[in-house]
Amino acid sequence: MKITRKSIKHAVSLSVVLSAGAFATSALAYPFTAEQIAEQEAALLESVNLGYNLWHGSSPDTTTVGLACGNCHPDAAASNPQTFPKYLPMFGKVVPFRTMVNWCIENPQLGKALDVNSDEMAAMEAYAFYLHRSRPIEPGLAAKQTQPIVVEAGKGFPWKPSGIGVDK
Amino acid sequence: MADMQNQSRRQFLTFTGKVGLSAMVAKAVGINLGMVDIVSAQTGKRGVEPFRFAIISDAHLYSMDNHKFDQQLADAVAQVNAMNPLPDFVLFGGDVAQNGTEDQLVKGKKILSELKMPLKVIPGEHDWYLDMGKAWSGLFGPETWSFDHKGVHFIGLNGILVEDFWTPAGMSPLERMTVMEMLESPIPGPWGVHAKQLEWLKKDVKDLAPDVPVVIFTHGPLWDYYPRWNFQTSDAPEIREILSKFAHVMSFHGHVHQTVYNKIGNMTSVGALSTSWPWPYPPVEKPFPASQMNRVDPSIATDGMGTQFIDLKADGYGIYQHNPFEEGVLTEFLAAGLKV
Repeated sequence: MKITRKSIKHAVSLSVVLSAGAFATSALAYPFTAEQIAEQEAALLESVNLGYNLWHGSSPDTTTVGLACGNCHPDAAASNPQTFPKYLPMFGKVVPFRTMVNWCIENPQLGKALDVNSDEMAAMEAYAFYLHRSRPIEPGLAAKQTQPIVVEAGKGFPWKPSGIGVDK
Repeated sequence: MADMQNQSRRQFLTFTGKVGLSAMVAKAVGINLGMVDIVSAQTGKRGVEPFRFAIISDAHLYSMDNHKFDQQLADAVAQVNAMNPLPDFVLFGGDVAQNGTEDQLVKGKKILSELKMPLKVIPGEHDWYLDMGKAWSGLFGPETWSFDHKGVHFIGLNGILVEDFWTPAGMSPLERMTVMEMLESPIPGPWGVHAKQLEWLKKDVKDLAPDVPVVIFTHGPLWDYYPRWNFQTSDAPEIREILSKFAHVMSFHGHVHQTVYNKIGNMTSVGALSTSWPWPYPPVEKPFPASQMNRVDPSIATDGMGTQFIDLKADGYGIYQHNPFEEGVLTEFLAAGLKV
């Protein structure tokens, strides 16, 4: 086989692709077994589902006026977790997403803020970030308009349908 | 007939030419001749007398005493009562209540009773699904109605009807209501007005002449804006077909808690600001992107909310003006008023 500049370029490209594939596979599999990975995914989705429920008002402590996050943020729209940390005028400084979650709980909802280190706050973040997965991380300004995510059906994450109405 | 139309058109053009010259002279010397109404009066529409009406929508009242949404609805009523000129009447676009309880509906009726002018109401899903409209109907009357006012035909429909998902599932009224309260609930499916109201609508407009301006009022839009959030009415195509004989149809709706404008065939469509909270814009292209209001500031408690009014002219067309509680939310396109 004659070695040319073109064949070297192809070989290098192929090598890069194969390496990337091998890395992706090993990163997924090692050091975890398929069962362990399934457990981790189940734990993540459990947290996402808890966040979904909290987002839609499952914790009475987070409101005294009846409002939940979902009133203003259906499908987590306009929550923009991927734009945090960002400067918000009501704080006068750069804050993380969880600070904004508690601002909404304490202000429009007039509820009791979540412990920022609690499983509940992690779940709220898990839900909002899960729905915004694949969006570029863009720490930004409060004034920036962002386009909500598209949720085709269901809750926006894998879940077991109830079989009621259209969610079969 | 064609000759008559052509002759009328020639006469009209001659007239508007003269009016146009007069208007230029008047403008030069700072005189307002009220040209729009003079010209419109000559366009052959059947006797529309110019008037104003207002829209208030989506109060979402809770049961707590002195809830902030109570005051926001009261502010909307005060805003309409302070308009000059006063609207002839007010349309309420649905969702008086948040959870459909009688106390919430009664509270809404009491606040709305402070309006200086008559009120016509259509239901929203939050008013309806606790008792399937029993309390709402007792307080506000029929959910389907029409009336004529100064040459314009007004129609109100119940556009939040869904197929029965609760009986097979054995759900309680409260469970049914809870499902319907969530905007992005995967359970209920799309709303509509359903067959009975479509038949009613056919009969209602059967004898109306095609040049009568029509206003149709539903909770959701009569076009597919974003069906996942029920920013739609499933049988809107049938409604538009029934109204297709009219030269000019104006569709006004609540539910979306935001400004949005569209034109489909003979119909213009405009969404109302709520008095409770604004909703984010859904992830779809808008037919008129400039009809999207500016970003709402969450730290201003009533930003992105308000009322709206429509000034109908003698030609049956009008200007729809959003009237927000806070300044800065309207784009130039919106602030100029939407042609409807």
